[in-house]
Amino acid sequence: MAQESTVRVKEIQPGIQSGTPAGGGHPLAGTTMTGAEMIVQVLADEGVDTIFGYSGGAILPTYDAVFRYNREHGDRMPLIVPANEQGAGFMAAGYARASGKVGVAMVTSGPGATNMVTPVRDSMADSVPMVVICGQVPTTAIGTDAFQEAPISNVMGAVAKHVFLVTDPRRLEDTMRTAFEIARTGRPGPVVVDIPKDVQNWTGTFKGMGRLPIRGYRQRMHAWNENRLSESRARRFFELLGESHRPLLYVGGGVINGDAVSQLRALARTLQIPVVTTLMGIGAYDTTDPLALHMLGMHGTAYANYAVEDCDFLIAVGARFDDRVAGMPSRFAPRARHIAHLDIDSSEIGKVKQADWYHVGRLDEALQALLDHARTQGFSRDFSAWHRHVRDLKKTYAMNYDRESALIQPQYVIEEINRRTRGEAIITTGVGQHQMWAAQFFDFKEPRLWLTSGSMGTMGFGLPAAVGAQFARRDRLVIDIDGDGSIRMNLGELETVTTYGLPIKVVVLNNCGDGMVKQWQKLFFKGRLAASDKSLRKKDFIKAAQADGFEYAVRLERKEDVPRVVEEFLAFDGPAFLEVMIDPDAGVYPMVGPGMPYTEMITGDFIPSRTRPTDGEVDSSSMF
Amino acid sequence: MRHIISILLDNEAGALSRVAGLFSARGYNIESLTVAPTDDPSLSRMTIVTRGSDPVIEQITKQLNKLVDVVKLMDLTEHDHIEREMMLLKVVAKGEDRAEIKRLADIFRGRIIDVDDETYTIELTGKADKLEAMLQALGSTKILEVVRSGSMGIARREVVLKF
Repeated sequence: MAQESTVRVKEIQPGIQSGTPAGGGHPLAGTTMTGAEMIVQVLADEGVDTIFGYSGGAILPTYDAVFRYNREHGDRMPLIVPANEQGAGFMAAGYARASGKVGVAMVTSGPGATNMVTPVRDSMADSVPMVVICGQVPTTAIGTDAFQEAPISNVMGAVAKHVFLVTDPRRLEDTMRTAFEIARTGRPGPVVVDIPKDVQNWTGTFKGMGRLPIRGYRQRMHAWNENRLSESRARRFFELLGESHRPLLYVGGGVINGDAVSQLRALARTLQIPVVTTLMGIGAYDTTDPLALHMLGMHGTAYANYAVEDCDFLIAVGARFDDRVAGMPSRFAPRARHIAHLDIDSSEIGKVKQADWYHVGRLDEALQALLDHARTQGFSRDFSAWHRHVRDLKKTYAMNYDRESALIQPQYVIEEINRRTRGEAIITTGVGQHQMWAAQFFDFKEPRLWLTSGSMGTMGFGLPAAVGAQFARRDRLVIDIDGDGSIRMNLGELETVTTYGLPIKVVVLNNCGDGMVKQWQKLFFKGRLAASDKSLRKKDFIKAAQADGFEYAVRLERKEDVPRVVEEFLAFDGPAFLEVMIDPDAGVYPMVGPGMPYTEMITGDFIPSRTRPTDGEVDSSSMF
Repeated sequence: MRHIISILLDNEAGALSRVAGLFSARGYNIESLTVAPTDDPSLSRMTIVTRGSDPVIEQITKQLNKLVDVVKLMDLTEHDHIEREMMLLKVVAKGEDRAEIKRLADIFRGRIIDVDDETYTIELTGKADKLEAMLQALGSTKILEVVRSGSMGIARREVVLKF
C-alpha cells in the first residue's frame, strides 16, 4: 500500500475528452502536477478504463499516481497485473481488438520494455491501436548503461507505429495526447511513449489541452479522411461491376478496424456479391449468411479459394494480398478481369497485386458512397448463375474431417462448442493448427469476436488476449482456443485469469507437440520431427491449471464424452480449463503450400478437390 | 533506376534513425544520405539517393509517407532538378605532378583549399558523375583521402518542397 504520509495527494479528475474541453477549458488547467499525474490525467481524459502493466523502478512514480487516482475515483482505471510484461501487451491488444478502443499497457524500463516488443510488433502487423507507456532511466543516466536501461526508442522505433522519448517534461502532456491520436487514426497501430523517471517526477503546470504539431502526419490523415469517393469513380466501379458475371468481395481486417462492417454488409447484400474474408477479416461478414464463403488463403475453405479462382471481378476491401492469401500473386485470382482495391493505407495499393480501380480513404465512407450510388442509380444485375455456382462450390467442397475416427478430432470439439456459442462468443487463439481449425469451424455473427495473431503469428497470444477481451467485454463469453505449444508460451497468465476472477474458458487442444510445425515437417521435410514432438514431456496441464486456482480443470480423452464435457465446461460459473487430447496426427486442410497458386491446393482425405495438385518437388529451403 | 528523394523531416530525436531503419528493415538500398536543418529550425531536409524499380520506388515513397516524422517528400527525379555533391580530396602532389593536378582541378572547376609540400587538398562540387569523372581523371595520382557529402538537390523553377 502506498505510504500516504509522504505522498502529496493530488486529485486527478475522471475523464473528459481532450480537445473538446467542456465550458472552455479543462477543469484542472493551470493546476500544478507531477509528470506522472499528468500522464494519468491524460489517460483519464482519453477515456482509458483499464491499464495492463507490470511495475518496476523506473515507472514507480506513475504507478503511484494511478494508485492515488483509483483511490480518489473508485477504481475507475484498474491496473491489471500479468505474470510477464508480454502478457500485459497482449491483454492490452486483446482489449483493443475486442472493443475497438485504444489498449493501454504500462511497464518499467529495460526488461519490462523489451518484453513488450513482441506485442508491439504483433499489434503493428495487425493494425491494433495501443499506447504503451514505458518507464525509462532518468535523462541524466540515459546512455550510461544504467541499471535496467535499454534503448527503447531505437528498439521500438523499428516495430511500432511511432515512438516518443520524452526528454522535455514540458512536452509530456502534449505527447501523451498525441500518442492516442496516432494510435487510433488512419491505419491504427501501437505507439510507445518512453518516459524517463525524472520526467515523471517533474512538477509543472497542467495545461489540460494541446498536442504536438506532427504536421505532416496530420495533414496526410486529413487528406485521406477527406478523400471522398467521387461520383465518377463510383460510376466507373459500377461499370466494372456491370460488365462482371462473377464478382467477389475479398474482405480484410481493415473493414473491422475502419468500423465499416455495417456498410460492407449492406453493400454485399444489396448487390448480392459473395464474400470471402481473410483471417483478420473474420467477423466482418456474418459467417452464417448465405453469401459468406468464409476464409480464403493457405488454410481457407476450398469453396472460398475456388471462388477466388473463378471470379471475374475481385473487390479487395481493407485487405492486402499478403503471402498467406496470395502465395503466388501472379496466379492469384487468375480469371479476374478487373481488381478493385479500397484501403486507408495507400502503400497497400499496388504493393502485391495491381488494382485497376482503387480508392484510398475511409472504408465506411467509401462503401457508403458505393451503396448510395447503387441505390440512386438503381443498379441491379443478375448474378444468379454465379450464386448457383458458389452455392454448388459450398456444397460440394464443404469443410469436413474424419468424423468416424475413434480419436477425438479437434474440429469436432470446435463444432460442439460452436453449437452452443452460436457465433456470439469471443474466441481468442494461439498460433498453429488449433488457430486454423478455429478460424475454419467457428461461426462469427459480429466483428471483434475473433481475436487472433494474424500477421505476426505469435504463439502465446490467446490466453492474455482473452484476459484483455474479458475486461473490454464483461458481458461476453470469452473462450481461448489454444494449443499445447502455444499456451506454454504464456502459461503464467492462467494465474491472472483466476486472480481477477474472470470467467474465461480455456481450451487446450493437446496434440503433444507443435502441430503445424509437424504438419510442415511431414509435407516438406520427409517427416523428420525436429524439436516439434512433445509426447514425452511431463507437463500436466490439469495440475498447472489447478495450481493456478482453476476450480474446473478437466482432461477430455474419450470421444463419447465430448458433448457432455463441453456442455458442463461452458456452463461452469467461473474460470474453466479444458484439455482435450486430440488426434496427434490431425492435419489442417485445405492447404495451399507456401508460394503456391490455389490450383495446388491440397484438400486432404475428407474434402473433395476439383484439381489434382501436381507432384512438383518443393524447394523447402526457400519457403516460409 | 536511380532516384533522389528529398524529405522534410521534423527535427526530432530519432527521426533520422527511423528513416534509415525503414530502408534497412524493408531491404531498400541507400546510395547516399545527407541531412541538415533548414531555415525553419524545426525542420531538417534529408536527401536520399536510392536505386530501385518503379514499384520499389513507389513503395519507398509511400512507406516514408507513413512515418510520423516525415512532413513532406518529393522524388526529385520526377521533376526538372539540380543536383550537387561536394567532394574533398587529398592527393599526393610532388614535383611535376603539382602543375598537372592543379590544371586538372581547374578543368573540373575545383579549388585547391589546402597545400603543403607533398599534398593538395581539392574541393570539388558538382553532380555525382562529375566527381567520379574527376577521380577517374586523376589516373595514377595517389589519392590519400576522399570525402563526399552525398548528393543533395533542388527542383527547378516553381516546384518547391516546403510545408
